[in-house]
Amino acid sequence: MFDLSINALFMQLLTGLQMGSIYVLIALGLTLIFGTLGVVNFAHGALYLVAIYLAVSINDAMGFGYALVLVPTILFALGLAMERGLIQYFYNRPHTDQILVTFGLAIVIQEVLKAVFGANNIPFAIPQWGNGIIMMHEWFPFLEGFVVYPKWRMILVVVSIVTVAAVFALLHLTSFGLVIRAGMRDPEMLKFLGVNINRRFMIVFGLGSLIAGIAGVFGGPVTQVSPEVGMHLLVPSFLVVVIGGMGSLGGAVLAGLLIGMAQSFTAHDINLSTIIVYLITVVVLLVRPRGLLGAKGVFE
Amino acid sequence: MNTQQSFFERNRAVILFAAIALTMPLWFPIIGGYSGLDTKIMIFCIFVVGFDLLLGYTGYLSFGHAAFFGIAAYTTGLMFKGFSDNIIPAIIVAVIVSTSVAVVIGLLTLKRTGIYFSILTLAFGEMFHSMAMAMLQQWTGGENGLTGMPTPMLFGTKMQGDAVFYFSAFMAIVMFYVAKRIERSPVGLMMRAIKCNQQRLEYTGINARKYKLLTFVISAAYAALAGAMMVVYEPFVGHEFLGWHLSGEVVLMSVIGGVGTLVGPMLGAAFMLYFENVLSADIGEHWLLYLGIIFMAVVIFMPGGFMEAMSRLKARFKQQ
Amino acid sequence: MAILDIHQVSLSFGGLKALQNVNLKIEEGTTHALIGPNGAGKSTLLNVLTGMLEPDDGSVMFDGKPLLDVNPWDINQLGIAKVFQTPAIFPEMTVLENVTIPVFAARDGSFRMNMFESSDHQRPLIEFAEEQICELGLKDKMHTRADSLSRGDKRRLEMAICLAHKPRLLLLDEPTAGMARHETEQTIELLNSMKGITKVIVEHDMNVVFSLAEKISVLAQGQIIAEGAPNEIKGHPKVIEAYLGEAQV
Repeated sequence: MFDLSINALFMQLLTGLQMGSIYVLIALGLTLIFGTLGVVNFAHGALYLVAIYLAVSINDAMGFGYALVLVPTILFALGLAMERGLIQYFYNRPHTDQILVTFGLAIVIQEVLKAVFGANNIPFAIPQWGNGIIMMHEWFPFLEGFVVYPKWRMILVVVSIVTVAAVFALLHLTSFGLVIRAGMRDPEMLKFLGVNINRRFMIVFGLGSLIAGIAGVFGGPVTQVSPEVGMHLLVPSFLVVVIGGMGSLGGAVLAGLLIGMAQSFTAHDINLSTIIVYLITVVVLLVRPRGLLGAKGVFE
Repeated sequence: MNTQQSFFERNRAVILFAAIALTMPLWFPIIGGYSGLDTKIMIFCIFVVGFDLLLGYTGYLSFGHAAFFGIAAYTTGLMFKGFSDNIIPAIIVAVIVSTSVAVVIGLLTLKRTGIYFSILTLAFGEMFHSMAMAMLQQWTGGENGLTGMPTPMLFGTKMQGDAVFYFSAFMAIVMFYVAKRIERSPVGLMMRAIKCNQQRLEYTGINARKYKLLTFVISAAYAALAGAMMVVYEPFVGHEFLGWHLSGEVVLMSVIGGVGTLVGPMLGAAFMLYFENVLSADIGEHWLLYLGIIFMAVVIFMPGGFMEAMSRLKARFKQQ
Repeated sequence: MAILDIHQVSLSFGGLKALQNVNLKIEEGTTHALIGPNGAGKSTLLNVLTGMLEPDDGSVMFDGKPLLDVNPWDINQLGIAKVFQTPAIFPEMTVLENVTIPVFAARDGSFRMNMFESSDHQRPLIEFAEEQICELGLKDKMHTRADSLSRGDKRRLEMAICLAHKPRLLLLDEPTAGMARHETEQTIELLNSMKGITKVIVEHDMNVVFSLAEKISVLAQGQIIAEGAPNEIKGHPKVIEAYLGEAQV
């Protein structure tokens, strides 16, 4: 039964924030890449997969600190390599070809990881300092009695907020960001202005991958580390992008939180929570096809 | 667009396919194939031929077609368990149910461009997948799947071994012929026009949306028939009949074989199933990795797949 | 008799007024040119007529029937065809297939579930398409893929596609754009030979306009500023003012 007590509501809010955080991080990379390059990256879930496997391996071998620094860096480099080595050859090819090649890449990455690490779940040990619980009732006096929340999940939420803020700062406060935003609105114009599109595209792809890397480092312990996780997260993340509006970063954040909340608040009913994402997608599609914050005319 | 040919000339491909298919039990073991796998190949031939009408001809890439396969499969299983072991009513009901769902999904997903369509079909496929595992557990058997069915019967014949193979082969031949007819019809023309220039088609007086929906439903019907026949072949339905794995496999088969040719995807299906079940004995459990690499190579270097490779070779031969 | 009656049509894109209370009557069977400086709203007006854009205000009547709120394909079925600035054809299909499509559209309407129609049944329509192709001088390219044609041939193919449906009104959006002199002459000849079809031509090339038009309307900043026979428009002070030297007379 749906519990309306202030405690329960608060807990569900937190869980929603946490679930939404991972969606936001993955959707952010997806929509950034799509909005700038026009590429639908079906391999994005696989990038997250690479991140969590790298993170757990480095964590076990050298410690979390190294994982924190190395994983996003490696993912950034991987994104650059992917764009230069594969994606750039598909800019002028039909959209279906782009989807096919990234889908193929996703399968290959997933299978390679499965071959190396096996198909079973690998436990990702949370570092000491991140372990434990937070006494929520000490921070929020309106809560009744003893209310606790896992520390690591709060850290994940904070990391997401910081990452989103950093991305927005990059886009709105730097000249690089200005060019990217202009390119998201009118890619043709950028070419006329003589801007080196190639380098920008490469960096944006790297950036999207880097964000997936951050998601992997902090999300690994939460989402588990197994080959299925990549696609498992990609589907709702795609829907988050669609609901928020393809190419809209604000939309990705808004929709990610919305979906996280929706899943959290329907968790008591397994049937509803499984399909709530799809129900919301259908409603948005019918009522506002361009998405919550999507630009009009984009794929309408 | 030659119309002065005889029935045999016009349907060369179908006759050739019929000859190869019906003699399969004879030659398949020679290359390491086993009985049962040939039946599966026939079933997937049906699946991919319909899928090619949507992908190769109309240009729409669906990642959720396993849903129609799975829904039909579960319906067939339930019909066997609850209604009768006769395969005819089971298949008919299964195809009707699955195709009806396809109409709804089609209306929701075809409104926008191909990119939206691919994402949404992936999502809806996964939706049915989750529903089968959780919400509809009572009917689907959840993670364990649907079992406990009687032996399927066709007019007093048990659908096992050779009987089920020849039935599948027969259905595959018929459905291939049907697809060929569609290809030659005005509807086939409009499908290809949609892929070429949908806007121009609309300005030429054609309601492209309706043709897209028609194609979507036809391809779903093919998938549904394949799903129903899968249960006739093997009385078991698992939740993996619905997810993106199977949808993705169909995409791989079609692209590797050569989209837009009808024959290509069938070759792709045969190749992939052979690879997965026969060659994997030598290659091991990582057959999907190798197939994934082959797939990427095809998309990057030879988008027309096996059929393109064949025609290039033919051209080279002719030069000499 | 006015076959096309455009009445008080207005359309704004955000703050930009693309069309402001445009009134235009096109007489049946005439060739009517629409000229004006860049950004005047000519293409926008054509897009309204084909159903691609919806105006904020006003009405459009085609042969007495309302044209707004009608799907592009239904508009075509009513008898309006459009020739695009860059020839819009079906690239990966043969010339014959390209022209067969409108022939089927004419017979079957905007949708028909004839998946099993036999090749024999289709024969007469294909033959009609072949005739159309020959009439436009593309006989030897019948089975060539459309994307391998020259630009001039693509334009002729597009013309064939439009004409196969026997339109009553033909809209042409800068049909000679990017063409060499001899190709332009051929296009003028072709258009002049199409008697009985009402033509609305948007053009920048004044040579083409004065070779073809029986009546000219001048659009500037979304409004009709002058209208009349060619010799009335030539040297019209308002027109010269609007162009400010852009005219290629």
